Amino acid sequence: MGTFIAQRIWQTLFVVLAAALVSFVLLRHVGDPVNNMVGQAASLAEREAMRHTLGLDQPVVLQFARFLRDVAAGDIGVSYRFGIPVARLLIERLPATLELSVCAMLLAALLGVPLGVWTALNRRSVISHVLLAASLIGVALPTFLIGIVLILIFSVWLGWLPAFGRGATVTIGQTWTTGLLTLSGLKALVLPSLTLGLFQMTLIMRLVRAEMLEVLRTDYIKFARARGLPNATINYDHALRNTLIPVITIVGLQFGNIFAFSIIVETVFQWPGLGLLVIQSIQFADVPLLASYLVLIALGFALINLAVDLLYAVIDPRVRADIAVPRAIS
Amino acid sequence: MSVQSAAERGPRWWEADLVHDFLRSPVAHVAALLTFVSVALALGADFIAPYNSNDPASANVIDARLPPGAAGMLGDHYLLGTDPQGRDMLSAIIFGLRTSLMIGTSSVLLAAAIGITLGLVCGYFRGIFDAVIMRIADVQLSFPAILIALLIDGITRTVVDRGTHDRLAIPVLIVAIAASYWVQYARTVRGLVLVERTKEYVLAAKVTGVSTLRIIATHIQPNVMGPVLVIATINLALAILTEATLSFLGVGVPPTQPSLGSLVSIGNEFLFSGDWWISIFPGGMLVVLCLSVNLLGDWLRDALNPRLSDA
Amino acid sequence: MPEPLLSVRNLRVEIATRRGMLVAVDNVSFDIARGEVLGVVGESGAGKSITGGAIIGLIEPPLRRAGGEIRFDGRRIDNLEPERTRALRGRHIGAVFQDPLTSLNPLMTVGRQLVQTIATHLDLSTRQAREQAARLLAEVGIPAPRERLDNYPHELSGGMRQRVVLALAFCCEPKLIIADEPTTALDVSVQAQVIELLRRMCRDHRTAVMLITHDMGVIAETADRIAVMYAGRLVEIGSARAVLGAPTHPYTRGLMASIPSIKRRSAELPQIEGNMPRLGAIPPGCAFHPRCACRLPRCAHQQPLLAPAGETQSACWLTAGHEDVPPAVRHA
Repeated sequence: MGTFIAQRIWQTLFVVLAAALVSFVLLRHVGDPVNNMVGQAASLAEREAMRHTLGLDQPVVLQFARFLRDVAAGDIGVSYRFGIPVARLLIERLPATLELSVCAMLLAALLGVPLGVWTALNRRSVISHVLLAASLIGVALPTFLIGIVLILIFSVWLGWLPAFGRGATVTIGQTWTTGLLTLSGLKALVLPSLTLGLFQMTLIMRLVRAEMLEVLRTDYIKFARARGLPNATINYDHALRNTLIPVITIVGLQFGNIFAFSIIVETVFQWPGLGLLVIQSIQFADVPLLASYLVLIALGFALINLAVDLLYAVIDPRVRADIAVPRAIS
Repeated sequence: MSVQSAAERGPRWWEADLVHDFLRSPVAHVAALLTFVSVALALGADFIAPYNSNDPASANVIDARLPPGAAGMLGDHYLLGTDPQGRDMLSAIIFGLRTSLMIGTSSVLLAAAIGITLGLVCGYFRGIFDAVIMRIADVQLSFPAILIALLIDGITRTVVDRGTHDRLAIPVLIVAIAASYWVQYARTVRGLVLVERTKEYVLAAKVTGVSTLRIIATHIQPNVMGPVLVIATINLALAILTEATLSFLGVGVPPTQPSLGSLVSIGNEFLFSGDWWISIFPGGMLVVLCLSVNLLGDWLRDALNPRLSDA
Repeated sequence: MPEPLLSVRNLRVEIATRRGMLVAVDNVSFDIARGEVLGVVGESGAGKSITGGAIIGLIEPPLRRAGGEIRFDGRRIDNLEPERTRALRGRHIGAVFQDPLTSLNPLMTVGRQLVQTIATHLDLSTRQAREQAARLLAEVGIPAPRERLDNYPHELSGGMRQRVVLALAFCCEPKLIIADEPTTALDVSVQAQVIELLRRMCRDHRTAVMLITHDMGVIAETADRIAVMYAGRLVEIGSARAVLGAPTHPYTRGLMASIPSIKRRSAELPQIEGNMPRLGAIPPGCAFHPRCACRLPRCAHQQPLLAPAGETQSACWLTAGHEDVPPAVRHA
């Protein structure tokens, strides 16, 4: 178990460092950082001074070390486009994205898991087939189109829900802005969460179903049946427990997916989160912003994966004993 | 000449399980038909589309944003309406379909080429190369493909100036999408190679001095094609979706060569003015395309799955 | 003669495939007396496991029980509602399968799986059930049984796991155990222990066993009677001594002759030419006739039924008419 954790932590560090390296290369070698900072009309002396301030006259390795130090301290440059420190921008926008992602994930899990279990246990019913067919279509639907269709129906034609922005938000503490405490905030959350969560929900439903069907075919279920255990016990105690283990970890990993797809949803709904920020940074070639986002993403994903692996260790006794465990079918 | 029973001579190709399955499955029929029609439309775009979308002269600004079925000022008929610049939606969709399919197919081919090659090399030669590549693959798999494609595309954009970028947009897009999907090919192929290379006939070939390339080409590669085909079909739908998403976000195809995704984004601004067709029709085409390719891939995977067939 | 514990008559199991209906178990009939060990032998795919599964109602589509009557303890059990069949399983008829690692739920402790089974069938409190479980573990020879209750399956060795499986099968004192290849997945050294354990448990609890296996050595040591299956059909049945020592069916004779023996010196190991036919390609008449060195013209057209032959019962036209069995069976 110790080696397992150590391995995962090494991997996390490696990924973050790699992202930081790419980031560093981008920042130092794209365009002329000196130019970006002092502008075209600066004198030679001013340029030299800036070069020194930025540390560009030092060996590359030292520059990288300095970069890492700055990042760790929270200084990741100033946005070309907005002119304010990137760190502040990121923190400002983070709550919006997080709220959206968590809502979508909850929606997807709370609907997807029961539906998946039900369609596995009632394989032959008509509803099962309908749900499966619908989920097949769901996988082929691009997220942005779902958003657009929902906007058309619920905003344009019915006028029930807003299509843009977060509604009124309330600031908690120093930095966290939430839309959960206002009616308009909640209304604004509905369509985006639905859009973001729908895809995940179909995924989870199919995954749970497939996993459960696999589990129901195993020898230990057969033996449980041979021992005369009641169906309810077999389905909900034995089978469900074994199904949920890989499913939980997949759902955890899907959180990363949700985070990525939030970029799309934020664009469709003009949701002021990190995703929208990234798109704008690409369109405006705002390198510091993009580079920082890269590191943030790498860190975020690596941490999510680490957390999921640790969760797996907590739940599955075989992992604690360092035994190879069959992961969920992909 | 004696008449042998089917059990004795082995099945002919029309008796093969795959064909048998296909003929039995209406879903496969419909999916194949739709895919075929899409490809035909795309290939024959120049002849089939009523107007040439790529020719700026075909767009009449006077006819902008007309609803489906309307007639234009100069007597043109627009079956699916027009976009904000007066371009015929039907033609735009057909040409957009071509762009989407072209980019999707190219990136799948590229991803497959990279993935299969790496998989073969890793699986056959093992060693440190294998360890490194597989480690990279593992790490990459923890990131969603769309994010990787977005970041590669985005970083390239910021590094290169705008003019060059427009010229390079499509190749960069293809490379970005391929780079986010190669992993599954590599892993599957590597797994198959690992199984095959320990089999006796391969060891025998090695011992008798058959060149490595020949071993791979004649023995290992044929076993690999089936699963790869399944991956490729499902991958195609994903690649098309990824391209559509990137184009919708504005970081995909250049404005001069729209794909289905960018067409949808054009219409996004006009939802509230009630001009729904500008987004919905290209979107609908996209869904039909992806769905049929997906269904075909699903059917193919079930049909080729040895576990589900009779013992 | 006292009524048999288990009585199977004309059991027929079909499989629905893409190419039509195939017969996996064809017209199989046999009895098992109380406390007796019936060994069911045959090659892989002969239908032995399916027969065992059909008896306790564990077969699932595409397999389907298509005919026959099964009586247990005097009552018919093949036409019960699923809930009644379930009540029968574990309580009156137990089962043991091949692979002890996959037979146990990896995410549940051994104790929990035992207590759950006991509590399902017997009216005991959790504490009493746990006591019972510990006693069972001790009975199957697991040291420190109380501690083992809280172990997970992967924490035990293969032999111990199979003992746990046996404990689970015996925990509600069933009258019959269907053991499907109980030793195949175990090391040879462990096999002997498990078989010995099975025999002891059956003696102590006076349980009958339907021992399904393709391992002749195990059968020879353990079975009171032996049934031989081929291509879904029962081809010979009789006392163990008779079937092993003086078999009458050509297939059984071929089987016995191909067992390596220390006493017999030969340059080659005799074998029966050809392979058992696949389900979709069973020949008409006697399923074995294409491989049989003493076939009669009749064998290709008419399927033989079980009839007394020598000391056993045999499904063979050669022996059915009480014709003399040729002294030596020619091998390929």
